[in-house]
Amino acid sequence: MTASTAAAPTQTSPRRGKIRRALTADWAARITFYVAVLVGWQLLAWQVARMPAPWETLDFLFRELTGGSQGGVVTGVFWDHFLVTVQRFSIGLVVGFVIGVILGIGIGTFRFVKSLLNDIMLVFLALPAVIWAFLTVMWFGLGWEAPVYTVILASFPFVAVNVAQGVRAVSPELHDMSDAFRIPRQRRLRHLMLPAISGYLFTGLRFAVIIGWNAVLLAEWFGSTNGVGWRARFWYDAARYRGFLGWVIVFIIFIFLLDGFVMRPLQRRAFRWRRDRDGGGDGDGTELTIDNVVVMGV
Amino acid sequence: MATLTVKDLTKTFPAVGKGGQPVKAIGGISFEMSGQVFVSLVGPSGCGKSTLLNIVSGVDTPTSGSVAVTHDGRPAHLGYVFQDPRLLPWRTVIQNMRYVSDLEEDEARANARRYLDMVGLAHAEDMYPGQLSGGMQQRVGIARAFSVGPDLLLMDEPFSHLDAITARSLREQLQEMWNETKKTVLFVTHDVMEAVQLSNRIITLAHGGTLFDDTPIDLPFPRKASDPEFAQHQARLLGRFEDMEAERSTASRSN
Amino acid sequence: MIPAATESTVPRSAASHDWRRSAGLVIGWVGFLALWAFTSTVILDEFTLPGPAKVAAAMWEIVIEGRFADDFAASISKTFIGFGLGASIGAPVGYAMGRSRYWKAFFHDGVVGAGSIPGITYAVLALVVFGTGYLGPVIAVGLISMPFIALSVAEGVEGVDPNLVRMATAFRRSDSQISRHVMLPSIMPFVFAGVRLAFAIAWKVEALTEVFGSSNGVGFQIRFAFQSFSITNVLAWTLLFIIFMLVIERGLAVIERRIFKWRTWEQTA
Repeated sequence: MTASTAAAPTQTSPRRGKIRRALTADWAARITFYVAVLVGWQLLAWQVARMPAPWETLDFLFRELTGGSQGGVVTGVFWDHFLVTVQRFSIGLVVGFVIGVILGIGIGTFRFVKSLLNDIMLVFLALPAVIWAFLTVMWFGLGWEAPVYTVILASFPFVAVNVAQGVRAVSPELHDMSDAFRIPRQRRLRHLMLPAISGYLFTGLRFAVIIGWNAVLLAEWFGSTNGVGWRARFWYDAARYRGFLGWVIVFIIFIFLLDGFVMRPLQRRAFRWRRDRDGGGDGDGTELTIDNVVVMGV
Repeated sequence: MATLTVKDLTKTFPAVGKGGQPVKAIGGISFEMSGQVFVSLVGPSGCGKSTLLNIVSGVDTPTSGSVAVTHDGRPAHLGYVFQDPRLLPWRTVIQNMRYVSDLEEDEARANARRYLDMVGLAHAEDMYPGQLSGGMQQRVGIARAFSVGPDLLLMDEPFSHLDAITARSLREQLQEMWNETKKTVLFVTHDVMEAVQLSNRIITLAHGGTLFDDTPIDLPFPRKASDPEFAQHQARLLGRFEDMEAERSTASRSN
Repeated sequence: MIPAATESTVPRSAASHDWRRSAGLVIGWVGFLALWAFTSTVILDEFTLPGPAKVAAAMWEIVIEGRFADDFAASISKTFIGFGLGASIGAPVGYAMGRSRYWKAFFHDGVVGAGSIPGITYAVLALVVFGTGYLGPVIAVGLISMPFIALSVAEGVEGVDPNLVRMATAFRRSDSQISRHVMLPSIMPFVFAGVRLAFAIAWKVEALTEVFGSSNGVGFQIRFAFQSFSITNVLAWTLLFIIFMLVIERGLAVIERRIFKWRTWEQTA
């Protein structure tokens, strides 16, 4: 057997080849995986008493959406909590993004600002969102402030660091070329600076979205009276684990949808000029590499 | 068409780091060129060719002396072609052409298309630089420089990063465009053969940025490398290079 | 005699840059601490925002009394074990993904999905399944580090230069020799980079899991401080946590540079 890297499709007789291709097609492989996950979940539910089964969780979620009671507790309040959380998340995200962009431009443009703020930014990057959740709850109590500020504090360093990178990425060669052709300032800003930065802006925004969503949940879990995080905790404290798991799933689905259907396509579009001539390896930020699998655990 | 006048030009770079020496890139050059001429600037590495081009284009400033680029008395319009294409990677070919143009939208497009056509890339106008080969990108760079309608065209070793075959075809294309548009061209190269092929005047610089040689080449275009007179010019120039090396080594031995 | 210039760059004075850089660093940190102290004593009060001195004192106490050692040891051991668990699953998965297109597609969504699931989710799942205790954080760490290990190994395996493998085959090297001398060194840098990243994340997830439901470890201490409403202790434990993390990160970076010296030349080539 010779050593080889990623295997090419094997040669078989035409009819067998067709069946085999159908079974091993990418989409079939993915579906197989999801089925495996569901089966695994169900198995786990049978094994572990506290683990709710897929069906139970689904049923519960349905009731949270529509109404009726769950062991004496009023349900049907899905939208109340969900929208509150989304609202807090959005506000915090916008503010965190703006702050991050401003700081990022400063750090990227001025060497002095960079030496001033860079290390501090690294420390802020390293601070887990849960710490901000604790601090803001202790400072601001159980209102809307804690979740919003947690989002801001947790997300802005990621934006800043990425924007700073983007600013630094505008190559001096292209600047020289613009000098040689005497390009006016405004045109330079629009066609040279902005597009160079926009890719990094997107990466920063994507990180901010994921961290921010995490953050709002943590803040609500530890110190709110409504919202997705609070509701999840509510069910957990009541030992109603299907409720708890159900809300966690809502939380996950939201971010998957947001990231998969909004953020990634936008990022791909922003980076479409990076594609190779041969069309292989997009370079648009969505291949299966470490750098592109966004870390939500951060 | 423009007039370029360089008078007693020097350029010294300040010292770098502790204990460094100031670096004299250009040590007093004077020459003049005007009209439909293709002037090549040749010389060994470190003789100040690129620095001179930077100063002429205004990207850098002289330490002393003067450089004047005029067209009918007023400051001239410049075009620049670099060693690497320097296209905005996030803009399509035609958008890159429009980036350097001061014309109105429709005029700019039409103008751009005209020059892209001249380099044979009219079909590529909506492609991104990343989708083009090195030679194609460089062609766009050339079309871009021509398209701003410059009076003086500056070219800094534009073919040095390309393979021999692509370089050859681009040289031919450049020659045709020069014939058609009648520009003043200052062309920097380290390749003597390229200089003899393209130019009607060759200026040679020595180490330390001084003028070493200034020769007109009177052969008719297009030129063939197999032509004996071509070979003569080339041999002569290479001989001058050897003289230059000899002078340099005796000078350094006596120091 | 003044030497002639080289064509390429316009030289800039390097000395003045170092000066500005050091000044910036110093001013940055001093300024930050001063701002902190100012805010806590003048603008707010020492209870709301304990000043740097108070926090530093608390940190010192924690270290002196040995609580630091105990709890950090607990946390780090859970992290390591969980990490080992994740690696033992992630490495074979990654290897399969790197070698075979079928397995790549099969595991694709799972690995990417597992890597994108918030660490908080693992923390919380571990909570449901394992309750409070030792096993929860370990499993959570295993779950979150697995995708990263898998991806680095996959990247490494895919990145093996087929030309090198062919060369070795042409010289009649055996399969095990090829694995040892061509593939393994090729894969190692990727794996190491992945390990570094995964470890930083694992550490945080571990702490988070402890915050939710453990009875020892750094995370537990932080939650305890929160429940006791001691802002000072929350800050003290957090800073210790971060310092520790930065130290480990630096350590890993140094090791990486040592082992992979050959890469620096390759990268500049």
